[in-house]
Amino acid sequence: MSPSFGRGAMTNSWSDLKNSEVFLIAGSNCAENHPIAMKWINRAKEKGAKIIVVDPRFTRTAAKADIFAQIRPGTDIAYLGAIINYILNQKLYDEKYVLNYTNALLKISKDYKLDDGIFSGYNEKTRKYATTSWAYQLGPDNKPLKAESLEDPDCVFAKLKVHYSRYTFATAENISGIPAAKIKEIAEVFCQGKPGSILYALGMTQHTTGVQGIRAYAIIQLLLGNIGKAGGGINALRGEPNVQGSTDMANLVSNLPGYLPYPINTDKTLQDYLVRNGSFYEKHLVALLKAWYGANATKENDYGFNYLPKTNPSVNATMVKIFEMMNKGQFKLLFNVGSNSLVSIPDRKLVRSGLAKLDMLVVSDLFEIETAQFWREPGVNPADIKTEVIMFPAAFVYEKAGSMSNSSRWIQWKEAAIKPLGESKPDLDLLDHLFKKIRKLYEGSTDVKDAPILKARWDYGEGEPSALKVLQELSGYDETTGKLLPTIGDYLKAPIGTASTGCWIYAGVTGNGNLAARRKNDDPTGLGLFREWSFAWPGNVRILYNRASCDEAGRPVDAKRQLIWWDSAAKVWAGNDGADVVDKTKGPDTPEGKQSFRMNPEGVGRLFAATYMSGLPVAPPTDGLPPIGIRPGGLCVDGPLPEYYEPTESPSTNILHPKVSISPVALVVSTQLGKSEEYPHVLTTYGVVEHFCAGGITRNIPWLNEIMPEPFAEISKNLGEKIGVKEGDMVEVASARGKITVRALVTDRLQTYKVNGKDTETIGMPWSWGFASLSPGPSTNDLTIAALDPGAGTPEYKVCLVNIRRA
Amino acid sequence: MTKKMVFVDTSKCTGCKACSVACKEWNELPAEKTQLLTSYQTQKNFTTNTWTYMTFIEKYENQTMNWLMRKAQCFHCADPACLKACSSAAITQTESGYVVINQDKCIGCGYCVENCPFGVPKVDPIKKKSSKCTGCIDRVENNLLPACVQTCQPGALAFGERDAILAQAKKRLAEVQKTHPKAQLYGEKEMGGLTYLYLLLDSPEVYGLPANPTVPLSLTLWKDVVRPVGSVAVGGAAAAVVLGVFANLWRGNYKEGGKD
Repeated sequence: MSPSFGRGAMTNSWSDLKNSEVFLIAGSNCAENHPIAMKWINRAKEKGAKIIVVDPRFTRTAAKADIFAQIRPGTDIAYLGAIINYILNQKLYDEKYVLNYTNALLKISKDYKLDDGIFSGYNEKTRKYATTSWAYQLGPDNKPLKAESLEDPDCVFAKLKVHYSRYTFATAENISGIPAAKIKEIAEVFCQGKPGSILYALGMTQHTTGVQGIRAYAIIQLLLGNIGKAGGGINALRGEPNVQGSTDMANLVSNLPGYLPYPINTDKTLQDYLVRNGSFYEKHLVALLKAWYGANATKENDYGFNYLPKTNPSVNATMVKIFEMMNKGQFKLLFNVGSNSLVSIPDRKLVRSGLAKLDMLVVSDLFEIETAQFWREPGVNPADIKTEVIMFPAAFVYEKAGSMSNSSRWIQWKEAAIKPLGESKPDLDLLDHLFKKIRKLYEGSTDVKDAPILKARWDYGEGEPSALKVLQELSGYDETTGKLLPTIGDYLKAPIGTASTGCWIYAGVTGNGNLAARRKNDDPTGLGLFREWSFAWPGNVRILYNRASCDEAGRPVDAKRQLIWWDSAAKVWAGNDGADVVDKTKGPDTPEGKQSFRMNPEGVGRLFAATYMSGLPVAPPTDGLPPIGIRPGGLCVDGPLPEYYEPTESPSTNILHPKVSISPVALVVSTQLGKSEEYPHVLTTYGVVEHFCAGGITRNIPWLNEIMPEPFAEISKNLGEKIGVKEGDMVEVASARGKITVRALVTDRLQTYKVNGKDTETIGMPWSWGFASLSPGPSTNDLTIAALDPGAGTPEYKVCLVNIRRA
Repeated sequence: MTKKMVFVDTSKCTGCKACSVACKEWNELPAEKTQLLTSYQTQKNFTTNTWTYMTFIEKYENQTMNWLMRKAQCFHCADPACLKACSSAAITQTESGYVVINQDKCIGCGYCVENCPFGVPKVDPIKKKSSKCTGCIDRVENNLLPACVQTCQPGALAFGERDAILAQAKKRLAEVQKTHPKAQLYGEKEMGGLTYLYLLLDSPEVYGLPANPTVPLSLTLWKDVVRPVGSVAVGGAAAAVVLGVFANLWRGNYKEGGKD
C-alpha cells in the first residue's frame, strides 16, 4: 500500500466498515480470523450492503456473502486485472478523482516496457530489476511532465490501459478457475456500490506476488475513487492484536520506527542517508536518534547516526531468511519472543536444523511451545543437540500495562488486569533487566562498537519499568526543556535536533495527558469515527487521505458521509475527522491544499509505482556533494504495475507468458520443489477461528481444544471419491518437502475447477498444530514451500503442490 | 421480572463457537474430548457439561452452498414438557420465562430427558442430577447479559424484553427474506412460545428441529388426568413408577417429534 498511497497501513477503520455499500472480501476470512470485523460488516449489511467473497474455499465468511467465487489459490492478479480492464473499457472510473487525485496524467519514461512478462531493467544474473526506466519524464524543473489528456500514449493512464488489455474475462477464467460471467458480476456489483471497501489479510499477502496483489487493489480503488472516503478504502486486517503496533515499531526488516527507511551499509553519514532517502526523513531520523541517545546525539556526531547498525540490503534478512542464515552457522544466539517459529515457518525443517546450529536459544513465552522443545520433537535425538535452551516465563497480555495498536491505527492504552502469575514477567521488565545488566558488562569500554550500548538513553524507571514512560518517549519531548511536546504540530515546528520522538507517527499521543487511554465512545456523526476513543496515528486522523473525500474546492463529495471540508470563513480545514492535509491553513487553491496523498512525492495516489524523488534541485549543489531531494516514491522491486505470475509450485504454466511463468524476482529458499505430475493438487493453508496462529496459547486451553481438536484436510467430494475417502477418514498429504496424516473433511465447500480446461483440485489445511501442548497434531508447515515475495519477504504459505491418499 | 427473550439471528452467526466457550467459562463446565464430526462441528449433542454448542449443516444445491450454522441450547419453552414431566418438582419456571432445574431437588429420574421434544436435558449417571442451560439466570437477575450473548461478536445474539425482541426479530426477518426466501422465525408459537427465538435461513427440519414440537400426549394425559388423582392416592415414588409406565406406553408417539 505504501507505494500506492504513501503509508503502509489500513486506510480506514474497523468501525468505518459500517459505512460501506459493498465489500470485496478477498484474501481475508474475517469471520474466522478477524471476528470483530463481522460486527461492523453485519451493520452495513443490515443497511443493504452487498458482500462479495473470493476465496479458494467456501469459508465461514463466504457463508455470509451475497456473491461467492472459488478461486485457484494465488491467481488473484488475473481476475483483478480483468476487473481493472473492465473499469477502463466501460469508463466506470471516477474521472474527476482520477485526474485530480492520481498520477494518471503523468508521463512515463519512453524506456519503460513490459516484454513477455519481464519489465525493463531486468538483470538475469542477479534476478533483480534496475528501476531507472520506471521513472517519469521530467521537465526542466525536475518535476514530472503532465499530459494534456488521458489519451496521451505516454501517460500512466495509457500505460495502464495497454497493460491490462491482455486481461480479458476469458483469460482470467482460464487462469483463476472463476467463470468469466462470475468475474463480470463481481466487477459490476463492486463498481456499482459506492463507497466500496476491499478487505484483505494474509490470503492476499502470502504469495510470491503478495505486494503486487495489493497494488492491484490500490489501482481499482483509485480508479473508482474509493480511497480517503468513509466506507471505502483498502482495509488490511492485521492479525494479532498488536501487529499494527509491531510494524509501527519497525519489526519490518527495512524500517526504523515510524516507517523510516533503515540505513544500509553504504550510508556512511547522515548526508549519505538523506541523499538516498530524501530530506523529509532528516527531522524524523534525528528525532529518533535523540530519543535513543539523548544528549549523546549531537549535531557534531551526526546525531549518533553511526551508533545505528547498518543492514546489507542484498541479504534482506526477513523471517525465513533468518533461518536460512542460521543453517549456515551465521547466528550464535536467538531470542525467540512471541513467535512459535517451529510451527509457523514454511518448510519448517529449516527451523529445526537451524535451531540445532545455535549456541543458545532463549524462548520467552507463556507455555513451553514447540520452538522451546525442538530438541525433543519425535524423531530428534536430544543427545545430538548442543544448543542450550533457556525458557523465560512471559506474562500474558492481561498481566501487563501498555499500549496496543490495532488495524485502525488506534493506539489503545490498557492497564494490567492482574499481576503476573508466578515468576512470569512482562516483556518490558525482561528487556529492561537484560539491558541494564548488559550495559554493566560493557562499563568502561572505549571500543567504538560498544558505544551504542553505553551511550543509549535508557530511562524507564528504577525497579519495575514504566510502560507509560516508553509511550511518552514515542510521543516525544522538547529536548531543550525535557518537557513532553503537546501535539504532532509542536513536534513538526521544532527545529531539527531540539525535539525527540521514538516513533514520529505517534507524536502527541501522550502530549496532553495519555490520549491512548481515552474511552469516550460517543459517535455524534454516526460515522463510527469515535475521535475521543484512544488516539489514532497520525494526529488522530481516523480515515487516511480524507482530503480525497472532498472535491477540488474542498467540499465533501458524499453528503451522507462528510469527513472534512475547507471552512473558507475560518480559513481552515475543518470537519468531523482530523484533516489529512499538509497544512490545515492551506486552502484548496494552494499547491499544499490540493495534495490528496501528501505522503507521496507527487502528492497524488500512484496508479503506476514510478521511480521518483521529489524536490531535486535543478542545478547541482555548489558544495560538490550529491543533491538531496525531498522524498522518494515507494517502489515495488518486482514491477511498477501488477503482472500475473504463477505461484512457485503451480499446476499450470502462465498462459500470458509461458517462458516467464513464475515471478522472475521471487526468492525461493526451499530446495525441494515439486512438479504437478507427481503432486497434482494445490494446497492452501490457513487458520481457524478456534485457534490463534501457531496455537502456542490456544492449544493449551481445553475449551478451545474441545471446539477444534485436530488439524484436517478439506477436499472436494470428487477428490474424495477418486481416492476412496469419505468424511472422517484419515488421509496422508505429501509435498516434495514432507508428509503428514490428518482427518479428511469431504465437503461441497470445495469444488473441482478448471484451469486451462484441466480439472484441478484445491486441498485446504489449517496450520496451527504442532507436537507439543495439550492438543498436539501434525504441522502443516512440513508441507509448505519457503518461497518469498521479493519485496516484503512474505512466504508463499497459500500455495504449494501436494498429493493425497487414504492413510 | 418481566418476560425476557433472546433472539438468535442465524443470518448473522459466523459459527465461531465463542458462545459455547463463554457458557463453559461462566458455568464452570469442563471441556470434553471431541473430534471433528461433520463439517466444522465437534460437539455432537448436549451433555451434562455441554449446554450450548454449534451445529453445522452444509446444504449444496443448484451450485450454491448454504452453510447453516446454529447455536443449540435449551429453548426455555413457555409450556415446558420437562417441567410437566419432572417427578420431584425440581423444574420450575421463572416469571421471566426461564425454565430452571433445582439441583437440590432433582433426583435424576430422567423423565425430563425422555419428554423434552428437543433432547436438551441430560442426567449425570453418577451424580443422578439433570442439567441443561440455565439461561444464565444468575447473570440476568443481576442485570448482566447471558454469557453467550455477552460474548457474541457478530451481533447474532440479542437479549431483552420479550415484546421488543419479538418486534425486532420480525423486522429483521422481513429484511432477510429478501435474500433468503425460506427464512423464518422459530419459537414465537412453538411450545407456547420459546424464550430463545430463532431466525432460521431454512425450514426447521433442515436444521434437525421438529417442525411442530409438542408436549408428548402421554405426559398431558398423566399430568392433567391421572396424576391429580394419583397424587392423592399414592406417594410420590409410586407416582413416578406409574409415570414410567405411561412414558413407555407412549414412547412411539413422542419419539417422532423429538430429536436425539
